[in-house]
Amino acid sequence: MASPLEHFVNTVRTQTINGTFRELVEYLSKTNEILQKNSQHLDNVLETLDFQQHSLGVLYLLCAKFNYINPTAQDNRFTQAQGFIQDCNGEQIRLAPDVFAELCHLITKYLTEIKQPMKGIDLMRKAIAKLRLFDAQLTSIHADLCQLCLLAKCFKPALEILNIDITGICQETSSSSNNSQFDAKYFLLYFYYGGMIYLALKNLDRALYFFEVAITIPAHAVSHVMLEAYKKYVIVSLLLHGKEQPIPKYASHVVNRFIKPLSQPYGALAAAFELNNNLELNNVINKHTEVFARDHNLGLVKQVSSVLYKKNIQRLTKTFLTLSLSDVASRVGLQSPSDAERYILYMIEEKQIYATINQKDGMVIFLDEPDKHSGSEVLKELETELSLCMELDKQILAMDCDIQVNPQFVRKATGGQDDEQPNKSTYAM
Amino acid sequence: MPLLIHNTMSQNAVEPMQVDAPPEDNDNNEDEIYVVENPSLDLEVYANSYTGLAKLYRLSFIIDHCPSLRLEALKMAISYVMVTYNVNLYQLLHQKLSELTGPMCVPDVAISTTSQDIPVIDNMWMETRSKKAALKLEKLDNDLKNYKANSIKESIRRGHDDLGDHYLDCGDLSNALKCYSRARDYCTSGKHVVNMCLNVIKVSVYLQNWSHVLSYVSKAESTPDFNENQAQTKDLYQITMTKLKCAAGLAELATGKYKSAAKHFLHANLDHCDFPELLSPNNVAMYGGLCALATFDRHELQKNVIFSSSFKLFLELEPQLRDIIFKFYESKYASCLKSLDEIKDNLLLDLYIAPHINTLYTQIRNRALIQYFSPYLSADMHKMAVAFNRSVSALEDELMQLILDGQIQARIDSHNKILFAKDVDQRSTTFEKSLAMGKKYQRRTRMLILRASVLRNKIHVKSPQRETTGQSGETTVAPGTSSVMLARN
Repeated sequence: MASPLEHFVNTVRTQTINGTFRELVEYLSKTNEILQKNSQHLDNVLETLDFQQHSLGVLYLLCAKFNYINPTAQDNRFTQAQGFIQDCNGEQIRLAPDVFAELCHLITKYLTEIKQPMKGIDLMRKAIAKLRLFDAQLTSIHADLCQLCLLAKCFKPALEILNIDITGICQETSSSSNNSQFDAKYFLLYFYYGGMIYLALKNLDRALYFFEVAITIPAHAVSHVMLEAYKKYVIVSLLLHGKEQPIPKYASHVVNRFIKPLSQPYGALAAAFELNNNLELNNVINKHTEVFARDHNLGLVKQVSSVLYKKNIQRLTKTFLTLSLSDVASRVGLQSPSDAERYILYMIEEKQIYATINQKDGMVIFLDEPDKHSGSEVLKELETELSLCMELDKQILAMDCDIQVNPQFVRKATGGQDDEQPNKSTYAM
Repeated sequence: MPLLIHNTMSQNAVEPMQVDAPPEDNDNNEDEIYVVENPSLDLEVYANSYTGLAKLYRLSFIIDHCPSLRLEALKMAISYVMVTYNVNLYQLLHQKLSELTGPMCVPDVAISTTSQDIPVIDNMWMETRSKKAALKLEKLDNDLKNYKANSIKESIRRGHDDLGDHYLDCGDLSNALKCYSRARDYCTSGKHVVNMCLNVIKVSVYLQNWSHVLSYVSKAESTPDFNENQAQTKDLYQITMTKLKCAAGLAELATGKYKSAAKHFLHANLDHCDFPELLSPNNVAMYGGLCALATFDRHELQKNVIFSSSFKLFLELEPQLRDIIFKFYESKYASCLKSLDEIKDNLLLDLYIAPHINTLYTQIRNRALIQYFSPYLSADMHKMAVAFNRSVSALEDELMQLILDGQIQARIDSHNKILFAKDVDQRSTTFEKSLAMGKKYQRRTRMLILRASVLRNKIHVKSPQRETTGQSGETTVAPGTSSVMLARN
């Protein structure tokens, strides 16, 4: 074994025993070069260290291994990484969160390349659990988990994570590196992938929320993720609300200035949709098929088209009590009465409209919505919603409190008006 | 910025008329109808109620839109343009005339062949006229220079005004506007300021620069000693006020704000309505009446139009319109709408209201439909169709649109052709609304908390970051994964 590596092992051991982890991280962050030079011996070094005891050392070694050695046929890196993430010491790795996250990204990349995303899902969940301090904290590993779930088409594990509303963000900085704030890329990717997962599960409301978060991030430049998120945002808002939701005012000007013009076909789609005219919409879709296909949004766009028929039928229920099937077809723009019948039947089954079809004379009788708001369930629902709102309110108050007692804030708020301050306090007394 | 537009316009003096291109298409479709029913418009009287460019523009509009009156209008316009220095317009009118009189008689040959009352292009006149115009311009310019050298404020102001008048006479609108606006620096009394404003408003109306018109109207109205300075002046004040109100109304009408247009016109005063350079009292009555009909509710209509002592006088000028308004108020919709259709052709020949006729008529119609249905729980659509001169299916479409816009709370029984008023379940709508509001609140608050932490952590999309390999690498993965999802959908 080469001597620099021996030194490496010794340092790791002694510092771990002494419990001086901070110094250890500092030392380790400078060892990249040594590890790279001696990459062929890394396995030997790994054997001398214990996953649990010397988590930090192993972390750097594994990272180097993923970085510098090209995968070969009989590769043990994944099993090693798996073992490490299972057994590692959370306290230690939290001292080098950036490296730990980096390791996870590398594993994800590796699994994507060998096309076995399923393998990593459980691992990433464990990794997230190790790294985060509380449930609602976002780490950059979240994005990896979502990516793997999407690739594996296995959404349940991700949902557990996605359903928790993020309230804090893990500061992925360690003493070793000074520049790495939480990377906007992983933030965006998490919300983009998350939105897609919800979209696949037909939870449009949540999907729209996620895409909205992605497009309202502060930005000075156009990110591709934002661009794609914007396109999906437009489509989902059409699917969900039947019109293009306005972009929140606090969104970066980049969205309006660059992203909108870049996704012009989607704007045309929304405009055509809002005319409630299927012919127009299909024209737009045909015209831009290529773009939609290239963006891999064609499936969604087709959904938009069929949703418009449904929307138009729903509009009819608002205006008519009875209407013949052929009238429905002509007003909605469907080919034949039987098409209309099919749509209406489907919608009745889905409880999107309340109607009965009289096949004898081909009339549809639209009924009023049955009273959904009676009985104890409604009260219960109301109660839960209320408590949710109150919970959120409490959070806001707590945040407000935090700001009020923040020394920096106090200094700024009072700084300019030192003279007035005493007056105020006397009034208060 | 607007000046640029003016320049291009002034090169072709009639150009402003063509600004409203889309409605013209409608007009052309209905040209045939004009031919039949037009006699109700007495061109002579119509033209005589205007002076200056207003007359020429209105005639040109008729020339462009009504074949049956085209020849007469052209003759009138040409004889009138001979009094001015507007050589460009003269040429243009003659060009149109030659198009009309057809290829068989080229104007030069026409001298001998055609009857006397078709005017012939007079090159001599054009030449002398342009020369005279140039001479006058030079003289005025010199005068102005002299005044400036002597720096007598009042004379300079007059000089500018005269120059502006001359430019206007030549049809050079942008220069006229410039001169009139320059006079502003030399105004010494409120009267002068108001005068300057009126001049600018006039030219801006010709240029169809409506925002300019509105801003100068408010400028004139806010001139401090505008109403107290002159003693004799109750009359003068009234005249100016009416002019300003008319101009403001016109601008609001042209920009499609019918309600405020109606309010402005209703403030006009007939005895002091003397503004032939822009509008005739008949116009005020027509514009104001129609806008009011389209936008006022029953109560407002009664209070501000029918019982308004000043506007009543205007309505006397347009008895047809008066009848329409009264019939509307008495809920005799069929005859009201019929009379409206009768006056439609004349209105379509009006330069300013023509582009808005269809919108105004639809609004009036909708208002009538809403009023008709308001006292009923259910209404037979056959009877309703009779009352509105419509086929049942057309009525159904109209009603559907109104219901979707939320203007009528009702539903249609298409099978039995009955319109039923909809009873809204207040309780369940309240439940729905509050639940939706709660959801909205939760969503917004979550977003807020998340955003707070984003800002606290200074997450930003920065440009250098894009150049690193990571981003592009990741995004190529992204579409790939989305295709995965699409397969599911």
